[in-house]
Amino acid sequence: MRTRQAFNFVAALGMLLVLMTGCSTTPPSAPVTQPAASEAGPFHAIVDVAFVQQHVQSPMPEGVMLIDSRPRRPKYDEGHIPMAISIPESKFEQMRDMLPADKSALLIFYCGGPACDLSHKSARKAEALGYTNVKVFSDGFPGWMKVPGNFAAVSTDWVKQQIDAKADMVLVDSRPKQGKYDQGHIPGAISISDSQFDKLTAQLPADKNKMLVFYCGGLACPLSSKSASKAIALGYTNVKVYPEGYPGWVAAVGAETVTAKAADAAPVAKPPANSIKAGKAEGTIDPAQFKKILAENPSQIMLIDVRDKNEYDKGTLKTAINIPVDDLEKKISALPADKPIVFVCGTGARSGESYYMVKDKRPELKEVYYLDGELTIHKDGTFVLKEPA
Amino acid sequence: MIKRLVLGVVALTLGLVFISPAAALEKGNPRKGKYTYRKVYSTCMARGAVESPKPTVNPDAKTRAQWDKVFANKDFAQFGCDQEWAALPAEDLNDIYSYLWEFAADSPTPAKCK
Repeated sequence: MRTRQAFNFVAALGMLLVLMTGCSTTPPSAPVTQPAASEAGPFHAIVDVAFVQQHVQSPMPEGVMLIDSRPRRPKYDEGHIPMAISIPESKFEQMRDMLPADKSALLIFYCGGPACDLSHKSARKAEALGYTNVKVFSDGFPGWMKVPGNFAAVSTDWVKQQIDAKADMVLVDSRPKQGKYDQGHIPGAISISDSQFDKLTAQLPADKNKMLVFYCGGLACPLSSKSASKAIALGYTNVKVYPEGYPGWVAAVGAETVTAKAADAAPVAKPPANSIKAGKAEGTIDPAQFKKILAENPSQIMLIDVRDKNEYDKGTLKTAINIPVDDLEKKISALPADKPIVFVCGTGARSGESYYMVKDKRPELKEVYYLDGELTIHKDGTFVLKEPA
Repeated sequence: MIKRLVLGVVALTLGLVFISPAAALEKGNPRKGKYTYRKVYSTCMARGAVESPKPTVNPDAKTRAQWDKVFANKDFAQFGCDQEWAALPAEDLNDIYSYLWEFAADSPTPAKCK
């Protein structure tokens, strides 16, 4: 009898478990829009990597377009299937003019692999626009990279970020040296023309895991892709191609382009002498150094109080200027590059937001920091900082 | 034996109900999350889907448990701007979740999205 009662109790708890876990996973009462059956699930025409490889060529054949549906930053920028253009699913309507005029053109959409539905959504939108030959490469970019010998392509923004950050990479100009490289090349690039590749492999790094980025004369130029394949065959494991190449660089960066002669004469850039000591969290300034700078040499930094004007008017740090965080984006292009910038506010929330905004909108500014912690500023400019735990 | 079985079921019940939803969620960078959260709406406004770049749901609109549930269930319909939310990578979602959770109504420092 006692055993039976115990089992009844267990059974009741089991029922309770089912009911309670069911409740915990039930969405809250906020309305959730369920897509119609035709708008959900996999697209009806799925292709494999062999199909994509058959159509991805440099230059791309007429009547074929490969489209990356992932967000441009950072996904497309840091690695995409060569010759793919970026039309993020979230911007499909704004960017649909980039699709070919010929509605019978082959459109291949891809995104981040089988779990990603952005390419399926974009494909359905393309069909709704009247395109008749639409496919989805559902294995996406991860599926492309799984194939031995395949490499990723990168964007101009990404290449510039790597150069600005002095990333550990070797940038290789695959065009002929005389007449091309010598006339102008991307700063820091070495010359290994594709035609001389086999003779010049000694210029490549000994470390086969080092990042190599090849470029040449733009989207119609196959030399960088050829050299990239040769590098992979030599055993290099981190090989990328910058398809927009030198023309793309000049169009985006223009005046910063360096000719061989100018590069020889140019002094090597030195890190700023007044570098700031970083704090524990990403983007923060070391609190002790912040206090020291304010006490001894406040003009060393550009101090920006990002609180609202009414808060600023009640008291701020002596050398701080006021740019409320809501106004920062409008004024962000005016931020100076010649001295470190430090954002402050009352808690670190708005100054942190400002830091990440600058990182996003002005990535070339390297010396940017924010002060984390509770900052109480008195009317006379003195302050108390309670550092975060 | 039976007593152990009963205790085991009770522990499992409590564990699944109270621990799993929170344990399934990764915390990100709340400072970055604040910027990303607001950027969702400035992007959304740029395409004309909302009138203001300010998010309509503040961190203090929910308790930490409620934010856990929203993000565990990926129930983002209440935020509007569904295109932008759908395009957010997992890292950005974790950052936004951390920001909203950090300043939730029952946190030590409940906050508006100021």
